[in-house]
This record gives sequence, C-alpha cells and structure tokens, in this order.
Amino acid sequence: MSDSTATTEAPAEPPAPDTEGSEPKPNFMRLFGGYLTEANSVMVTIYSLLLAFLIGAILLIVSDEFTRSTFSYFFSRPQDAWYASRDLVVESYTSLFEGAILNFNTLEAYRAGDAEFGNLLRPLSETLTYATPLIFTGLAVGLAFRAGLFNIGAQGQLIFGMMGALIVGFSLDLPIWLHLPLAIIAGAVAGGALGAVPGVLKATTGAHEVISSIMLNNIAALFLVWALGTAFLHSETKSDLVSKPVDDSATLPTLLSSLNPSLRVNLALIIGFAVAALVWWLLSKSTFGFRIRAVGFNEHAAATAGMRIGSTYTTTMTAAGALAGLGGAALALGVSSGGITTNTALDYGFSGITVALLGRANPGGIVASALLFGALKAGALSAQPDVPVDISTLLQATIVLFIAAPALVKAILHLRTPRGGLVTLEAKGW
Amino acid sequence: MAVKPFKLALAGISAVGLAALAACGDAPSDSNGGDNADASFTACMVTDSGGIDDKSFNESAWAGMEAAKAENDDIEVTYKESSNTDDYDPNLQSSVDDGCNFIVGVGGLMAANVTTAAQANTGVGFAIVDGTPSDAEGAPVETENVFSIQFDTAQSAFLAGYVAASQTQTGTVATWGGMQIPPVTIFMDGFAAGIEQHNTDKGTDVKLLGWDAAAQTGTFLNSFEDAAAGKSTSDTFISQGADILFPVAGPAGIGALTAAEEAGDAVNAIWVDTDGFESTDYGSKLITSAEKGLSNAVRDAVLAAYDGEAGNGTYVGTLENEGVSIAPFHDFDAAVSDETKAELEALTAAIIDGSLVVESPASPAAS
Amino acid sequence: MRLELKGLTKKFGSFTADDDIDLVVEPGQIHAVLGENGAGKSTLMNMLYGILQPTSGAILIDGEPVSFSGPGDAIAAGLGMVHQHFKLVGPFSVADNVQLGREHTQGMGVLSAKAARKAVRDVSEQYGLHLDPDAVCEDLPVGVQQRVEIVKALSGPKTELLILDEPTAVLTPAEITELLQIMRNLAAAGTSILFISHKLKEVQAVADTITVIRRGKVVAELEPTASESEMASAMVGRAVSLRVDKTDAEPGEPRLEVKDLTVVSDAGVKVLDGLELTVHSGEIVGLAGVEGNGQTELARSILGLLKPDSGHISIDGRDVHGRGVARRIADGLGYIPEDRGRDGLVAEFSVAENIVLNQYRDAPYAKGGVVDAGAVHKRAVDSIAEFDIRTQSPDESASSLSGGNQQKVIIAREFSRSRRFLVAAQPTRGVDVGASQFIHSRLVAERDTGTGVLLISSELDEIYALADRIAVIYNGRIVGEVDPDTPREVIGRLMVGADLAAAEPPPAAEAETADVEASSDTEASTDEDANGGDR
Repeated sequence: MSDSTATTEAPAEPPAPDTEGSEPKPNFMRLFGGYLTEANSVMVTIYSLLLAFLIGAILLIVSDEFTRSTFSYFFSRPQDAWYASRDLVVESYTSLFEGAILNFNTLEAYRAGDAEFGNLLRPLSETLTYATPLIFTGLAVGLAFRAGLFNIGAQGQLIFGMMGALIVGFSLDLPIWLHLPLAIIAGAVAGGALGAVPGVLKATTGAHEVISSIMLNNIAALFLVWALGTAFLHSETKSDLVSKPVDDSATLPTLLSSLNPSLRVNLALIIGFAVAALVWWLLSKSTFGFRIRAVGFNEHAAATAGMRIGSTYTTTMTAAGALAGLGGAALALGVSSGGITTNTALDYGFSGITVALLGRANPGGIVASALLFGALKAGALSAQPDVPVDISTLLQATIVLFIAAPALVKAILHLRTPRGGLVTLEAKGW
Repeated sequence: MAVKPFKLALAGISAVGLAALAACGDAPSDSNGGDNADASFTACMVTDSGGIDDKSFNESAWAGMEAAKAENDDIEVTYKESSNTDDYDPNLQSSVDDGCNFIVGVGGLMAANVTTAAQANTGVGFAIVDGTPSDAEGAPVETENVFSIQFDTAQSAFLAGYVAASQTQTGTVATWGGMQIPPVTIFMDGFAAGIEQHNTDKGTDVKLLGWDAAAQTGTFLNSFEDAAAGKSTSDTFISQGADILFPVAGPAGIGALTAAEEAGDAVNAIWVDTDGFESTDYGSKLITSAEKGLSNAVRDAVLAAYDGEAGNGTYVGTLENEGVSIAPFHDFDAAVSDETKAELEALTAAIIDGSLVVESPASPAAS
Repeated sequence: MRLELKGLTKKFGSFTADDDIDLVVEPGQIHAVLGENGAGKSTLMNMLYGILQPTSGAILIDGEPVSFSGPGDAIAAGLGMVHQHFKLVGPFSVADNVQLGREHTQGMGVLSAKAARKAVRDVSEQYGLHLDPDAVCEDLPVGVQQRVEIVKALSGPKTELLILDEPTAVLTPAEITELLQIMRNLAAAGTSILFISHKLKEVQAVADTITVIRRGKVVAELEPTASESEMASAMVGRAVSLRVDKTDAEPGEPRLEVKDLTVVSDAGVKVLDGLELTVHSGEIVGLAGVEGNGQTELARSILGLLKPDSGHISIDGRDVHGRGVARRIADGLGYIPEDRGRDGLVAEFSVAENIVLNQYRDAPYAKGGVVDAGAVHKRAVDSIAEFDIRTQSPDESASSLSGGNQQKVIIAREFSRSRRFLVAAQPTRGVDVGASQFIHSRLVAERDTGTGVLLISSELDEIYALADRIAVIYNGRIVGEVDPDTPREVIGRLMVGADLAAAEPPPAAEAETADVEASSDTEASTDEDANGGDR
C-alpha cells in the first residue's frame, strides 16, 4: 500500500561524502528522471493512462471508415493515411476534452460576449454529474478491498439505495430539511441492508462474498423491474416502466443552475467529497479502520490479536453497501428525481470496481479516478457520433487492464523495478 | 453495454486485417466525398437506450433520418445515443449547442425532456416519436416547436389478431411483450381486440394467452434482447396449446420464431414493426406482420421541418394514411381464405371511416 | 541409484537455511532425514527436486554432478517426489492423475485410457500397492491418495529414487503401518528412498541410515539401532547451552488450569486427549514434546481461537468458556504465537501499529473510536528503546524487519501491559542468539513479577534454561511432569511416549505419581487410537 511502500528511501545511508569527488550530486533532474523510468505505482498509473489513450487512438483509426480507406492505398501515398490518422485522433481527443472540461467554441463565444459564463461550465458540470455516483460505488468497492473483501455487489446495493431513497422521497410529506436527509439515509440503509447479506453469509457460513454479492446483483435488478410495475412505485402519469417522481422537498438541490439551467451538478457531489473524506478518516484514523486494515492484510494475526473477523466482514460489507446505497440515492434524488427506470443504474456499480482499482482503494485516488471516468463519459456522450460513444468504456477498461498488470507496463516501456517490487492490486478477496 | 467496446474492438481488429490486405491499392484522385458536407440544415436524433443499431426502434428512426438526407442533399443528419433517461437532457442540450435545426427525440419517455428543451430553444424545431409535448408530470403542454409522431398500431395489430383467429387450428393463440410499456401494450390490445372481433363475427371461441386487455396484465420478458427467454416463454405457450405466436419484443421476438420452427408445421407466428418476411430469417413461419411505418414518418417529419412546415404539428400513423398496416401474407397467401381477405378489407374500411374504433389505453391522444 | 550431496548450502539473504549438508543415499536404501520444523529439511528437498537452486555445493547421481533447473530435470534424472500436501486433481481418476503431465496418447493428442490404466496396474502390482485405476481420487481415503502419489512418482521415465516429504503427517496410525510396509517393499525392489520426517518411531522402524539436521546443519549420523531418545536429543540439540540467570521460582495461586481438555481435528483425530495442566503464578512451565503432539491446539485453545470439544480452561481462576479472544487478552492473557508471520504480525502494518495490535481500542491508544496516533507513536518509540528493536523508525513496515526484530515487536506488544498469564510458543524460533538471550531474560523477568508462564518449545535447551517445571506432551496428553534437573535422556524418552517409571530409574518426585499412571495408560492406548481415531 502506498502508506507503507515508500518508507526508507533517504535515511538508509547517511549522505556520504563524495567518494570519487567527480561524482555529481544526485541533482533533481537525475532523481526525477530515475523516478520517471521506474515502475512505481504513480508512474505505472500515468503510463497506464497514456498507453490506454494510445490504444484508444489505434482503435479510433481502424474504426473510422474514411481513415481506414486511406490505408487501402498506404503504399502509394502514405501521407494521406498519416494526416488522416493524426487529424482523426487529435479531433477525437479534442472533442472528448471539449465535452468533459472546456468547449473552445463556447470559450470563443464567451469572449465575444455571445455566451454566458454558465455555458462555459456545462462540460465540467456534466463531468461532475457523471462522476458523482462513481465516487460512491468506488468507495463501496474500495472500502471492502481494504478488509480483503471483493465487493462485486455494488451494483445491486446501488439499486437498493435508489429504491430506498425513492420510496422515502415520494411517500413522505416533510419539510426539505428533514425530508432530504431522511431520503438520503434511506438510500444508505437500503444499500447497507443488501451489502450486509454477503458479509453475514461469509462470517457465518464461509460463503464467498464474490459469489453471493454477484448473485444479489441479479436479484436486485430483477426486484427493481418487479417493483417498478407495482402500483406503489409505478408512475401515476406515465404508462412506461418508470417510477413516481420524488417530491421537490426530497430532491437534491443543484449547485449551479442559477447560472444556467442546464448545469445539472447537484449537492450529491459535495456529499460524495465529504463521504470520501469520512472514509479516509475512518480508514486511517479510527479504530474501526485499524481493524479493517488489519483483517484485510492478515486475518490470522488479527484474530490472534483478538479482533473478530466475522463481525469485521459483516460491518465492512454493510458499510460498503451503505456507500453504494448513497450512490443510488444520489441518482434517485438527483438527476433521476423525475422517476427511475430499470436503466437508471446503468453499470455504475460495476464501474465502481474499476474506479476502486484505479484509485488503488484509497479514498483520494477513488475520487480522482471517479472524476476521470466521469470526464470520459461526459466527453464521449458529447463527442458522439463522430467519436464512438463506447470509447469511454473502452478507455476505462484498458486503463484498468494496465493498472492491474504493472509487469506489462514495465515490459512495454522497459521500466526499472522499484525498490520493494511492483505494486500489484491487493484484491485479496479472491 | 459491456459488449459494445468489444464490438468496437472487434470491428477495429478485422478492419486492420482487411486494410492490410488492401493496402496496396491505388490512391484515389483528390475529390470531395459524397457527404452533404455543406448542407445548410442539420437534423439530429437523440436515441432512447439501446443504441443506434438496436435492430428496432432507434435503428428504424435513424433509417428515416438517412432517407431524408438521401432525398434532400441540403440536409445533414447526425445522432446522439442515450444510455438511459439521465442522458436525454445533456444529449438534447449538446444537439442544440451543435447547431442542429431539427432535433428528433426517439421514445415517449423523452417527451418532457424534449418539451423543456423546446421551450428553452424556440429557434430550433423538435420532434417526439411516440409521445406528445408534456411536462414532467405527464400533463400536456402547448408548444410552438414540437412535432409529435405517433402510431396507432392497435389498428394494424387488430387486423393481425383477426388473421390469427381465422388461422388457428387449436383455438388458442399467444402474445407476449418485451416490456410493459405503451408502444408494446398497444399492439397487444389491438391483437386482443382483433381476436374478439373474429369471435363475435364468426362465432368462434379463440383464446388469447399472454395478455388480458381488460386488466392490462400479461407476460413480459423485461428485455428486448433476450431471445433465449423469448423462446422458453414461447415454448410454454406452445405447450399450453397455442399455435400462433405474436411476440412484441424487438430482437427478443426471434425466440418465438425459433420456438415455432422447432415445434414443426403446426405452429406459426406474426411479427411486429417491420415485415418479418423481409427482416428475419423465418419468413416461412410468418403469417403476416403488424407493421409500423416509423422510418417513413421520421423521414417525412425531417423533410417537412426543412420546408419550415413541421411546427407543432402532429402525425399519427393509421391504416388510413398507411402509417400502420399489415404485411402481405407471402407464403401463407393460399392459406388465408379469400373470405378472410375480404373481411379484412371490410374491417380496414370500417376503421378508416371511423365506424369501427380500436381502442387501447396506450393509443395516441386524438389529434 | 546412488545419490550424494556434497556441501550443499542454501542462503536466503543473510539467513542460512542449509549449511554444508553432506549426505549419501545408497541404492536400495531407506535414508531418513530427521529434524524439527524449520531445521532446513524442506529447503533441502526443494534443492534436490530442482525447485530451489543451491547457493553452493553439489548434487551427485551415481558419481556424476548434476544440476536441476526445475522438477522436470529431477524427474528426468530418475527422482520422484511425494509431497506432504498431495498434488492430485480431485475429480480425476487414479489413472488420469498418474499420467498427469505425461499423458499416454494414441497419436494426435488423443488420450489412451487403456494405456494409462495398464500403466497404473503394472506399477501397483509390482510393488503391492493395490490401486483401482478408475477410482476417483477425491473419494479415496488419504492413505490411498498417498499411494496414488507414490505410483505417480514411480511412473516417471526411470524413477530410481523416491523422496517422501513428511509422508505420515496426514495419515492414521493404521495407514502409517501400511505405508512403512510399502516403503520396505520398494527398497527391497531396488528403489532408494529419502524419507523426511520428525517422527522418531517411524524413522526407527524403516530407515537404514539416519541423518539428523538441526538449524540447517547435519548434527548426527545414526544407525537405526540408535534409541529414540538418542535421536530426540540430537534433534533438539544439546550443543549450545543457553544459560539464563534466574532465582528459584516462587509459585503462587494457579493462573492456568486445564482440565480434561479434548480437541478433535476435522479429520476426526483426537489432537488433544483429556489434557490436564496447571501453571501457577510466578513459575515458568516448559511444555516439552516433539512437534505435532497437540502443542499448537493447546495454545490456540487457551487463547480462544479453537473451541475445545470438551474440558475446561480457567485463566486466573475464572473459567473462560464462552469468552472471546479479545476478552481473554483484556483480562490479562499474553500470547506469543508460534508462527510469527502468520499469527503474530501484520507484515504491511508499521512497527508502531503492530505493537498496539491487540490494544488499539484501549486507552491511551484510542479514545472514542479514534486512534490517537501520538500515543501510539510514543508507545512505539518507548518500546523500540526498551526492547532494542532495530528499525529505522516506528513507521517502518514490520515486513522490513529481521526475524529477531519482528519477534521483539511481538514481545514488546505482550510485555508492555499488565498480564496475569502468558503463553509463549516457540518464542525464539528463527531468532539469533543475541535476541534469544534477550527474550529469555525478559521471560524470566516476567515470571518474577508474578505472571504464570507456559513456555512451549521444541528446543529442549530452551526448556531447560527457563522452565521451573517441565511437562512433557505426547499424543495430546501430558505424559509426565518433571523437575528441570531431570536428565535429558529421561525427557527424551517421555517425548516418544515411554512411561515415566521406565524413563526414570530413581524414584520420581512424589507429586508425579499420578502422572506415572496416566502416562502408562497413554502408552497402552496409543495403538487403540489407531483404530478408534476416525469417527
């Protein structure tokens, strides 16, 4: 883990007087260069991103009909293929950037006075909107990782959280200061209840949490389909399979819609940051986190020290489920407050696994990778159809593939092995 | 969702292989491509979930967009895919930002989103497929710039039901849906009404499995893709005596056709949306199809918008305007008696002149 | 085949696992390698089988030096290995398992079941192994599975030497008897056998020559006529005399009382069989015995990790039945686990975190569910100074420490809080002499503060150096309790199950009379266990 790997660099040898005299001092550039060519976890992450974008570029080129056609006469006029490929890749990644961070056309318009400041923020707002549920599901998977558990069930937990928040969101008539928190908590409780099941099963019967939680995903998804059809949940105004909308008093307020109504980012993002900080605090400062980490690293030593392994599994999975449930609440009370469908959950729960892997199960890393994945999703959505919308999923998958196989990155780029060896992901649940 | 990057990658890999084979070709002379690159009018489409190539709804609508472009080279078309309802707003917004002149929202679930976008962007034309302008609560909204495209598929399904009742040997036919949503249940309602008509007119007692029109309950896969589930559902109905199947489930409906084929000559099927004799590999098992002219309707809407005539108009596909129809009987032409064919023509005329009304709770609001 | 090892040495960093091992296995001979866990036996076997490369030294086969870069080379050279943990594919048949990796085919990669069956039948008839080639392995009893392994090893292209690594560890006594007969048959047929074990009786029963290794060195070459006590004392060593200054014990009230404790393993064997033991305040009781006689289960039962099938444990006068591990620790139970890496430390945790591993929830290290990093750090700094833990800083991860310093971390954890009773299992295993002495003096100092100490050790020297009273465990029972001035030979005999009267010619101390009777019962019942062992 990051808090234990980079430990004893400098003090190992006292700064020895120059033995040769001619030996230059280890200046910054040399140290930095050495760092760049080493397969440490930071550089592996950076190189994984770069390699993924490189592979994405190749796939963009071969999947674009026009560019592909220039390769058909590559040997008679190679520059066509080169320019076409270059232009395609640059344009594609530019439009991803424009959809995720800043649209240059809007910037021009804004400078010329033809666009409001709010328009300028829309790509960012979309990125943050899509990142929000990923923060929660990433934390749900990451927290479980730290206890040595592989929580594949974040998808089902998110769906349960969505339903819990929805039911409280439309069925109670309360003032907003009470209704909204209650609905959010209901999401956490519902997700936590589903998350507790694999934890309890593992603690009492030894059932593997991967198996039980993946099965619960199916149960949750089908339960949602059934529940949406019941009169209790089903919309009163639409005959499609869509739920009732949540009351205004349970809807997460948007943060920036006063600037521009299309800025959808809402309070759930702030809650996500706060929860990430809380999880960080829990893991690194609390006795509960101490126990989770000890059990995750070495359950035998933890048991010998008097920690109860079974109850740690149960509480951790419950907490993880609650985190994913909060993600569900963020959807049901946020962008989907008009009513949830069977499709609202998308694959946020499964993406949580890749977010947690990329973030190396650290809350800070999880937030960062959720933002990255949110940006990819927002960018791809806006850049279509010129850029295939699947590029975001493809890039995510490729990034995590490289992260999960640091030896591959090391071999491709001929990096040096760092002190202490390659850092592989600690999915000890398997 | 998860399959698609793989598809993209696969396409890429095979393309590399082909390109390598062909890389020795001659360079073309410099010329502009055939695209309507300088078109002055851009029509954009925002899909429902399922993607542009869903072999169903979105794909048919997109075919209509391309048909419009083919007809008028001053029209450029493009699309944005939505992965779920949360993508509607950003996709509509970025279509507006991209400078689209006419934006077609595919799917009734998008009605409120399209309406809101239309109210905020009065300079842009919009259309909703299978829906009418409404607010988030579903209440109708008056707009100046939302064109509504709907289909009274109950009418074509009614005829299909009548044919089914006339053709069944066992006296039992079956239907099942992909999901319990209006564009699906309207077919089932019409089908049920057609059977009922036959029972009344001809004194038969044909039973329908899989849909209770009065209670609005029935059998649904909750999937438009799972053909295996469609087959097992169909097998169940066949074992209960059904000899004609009416799957209203897009690609999942193929399961009914494979089940019918396995069951032998005695079991046949009726397709929906398109003429299944053309669009599936099971033409010999299809008595007819309850067609819905989505492509043509979208094409006409785009062309009308180009001419500035779309506005807040409404199009409802009916038997009268041939927006819905039943397909030819093809292989079953001889099996369907001339008597039945004559009755179908009479029923069609009755529906067109309004003396016969096929009702469904999912029917488009009267225009 | 004649196998000779010359000066074989294996070092892992600064740790020498095997040091200059010389050994000769003559053709058709059963050569036993005897040693405690951690003596270097497994490393030796792994070098022989090509899994590890020797640091120095040579392996000679029929006088020719060979070098194996993997098991494949070893097999090709005529070596066959039966691992302690079977390497069988459970759902496969016997024939399929035997041909695994060198399948009989009839061309084009098509398996020939007939040829495979015939090969199994041939080999098993040749040596009287009685195997059904079509039986599914996972359905077979453990002893038969082991025969499958033997047939597999013998089915190599020209297997002439068989290595058996702790082959009896998983067997019932009846199966052991059978295995020993099989080994004799194999040797009679000309196969050389290298037999790794720490079970004296078996070694004595079949071996032609016995090499005893301890701490990576050959310490004795014995004939099978050597007595078990000779072997035992060679195994546990007598060379280094660890002197610890200590005064006479002043035993007080009982701190640990174990009554009629019985633990039945998953395999149905009684690993603890009505064990009785009392440890008083202010005394160190040394539990001597060959490993695997129930020491581990006793320690884990006292801590509460293992739920006894019957019997009572009282700590500090209170029956601890139903109390969890944490509660027992909080009530003053100290525990030094025998397997440091598995049970003692969280390798990824810092030294500081490991020092408070079982007190992380208690004041002053935590308040209201929040770990007080400052208090933990201060405690770690103090402990590092007090216990002379060689570490860069309290924040260094435990995995980067040497074995001795890791053990000191555990000692520091256990010795820096008030305790009523302490279990110290193999407290100096894998620890250098300096650290050992330090740990020993701390254990005595601990006793002097009035704590009762149960010292479990496989090293008789350690027991002699520290214990105020010695209890000998054999087959899950205490077979004798003796004074520390009892001659080594007597304890050696007790350790292999002899009764006290026979072990000790002069009259025993009056207190032990009851135990003499108990131990003779044990001796008599040993063979009955063979039959009644599995339920």
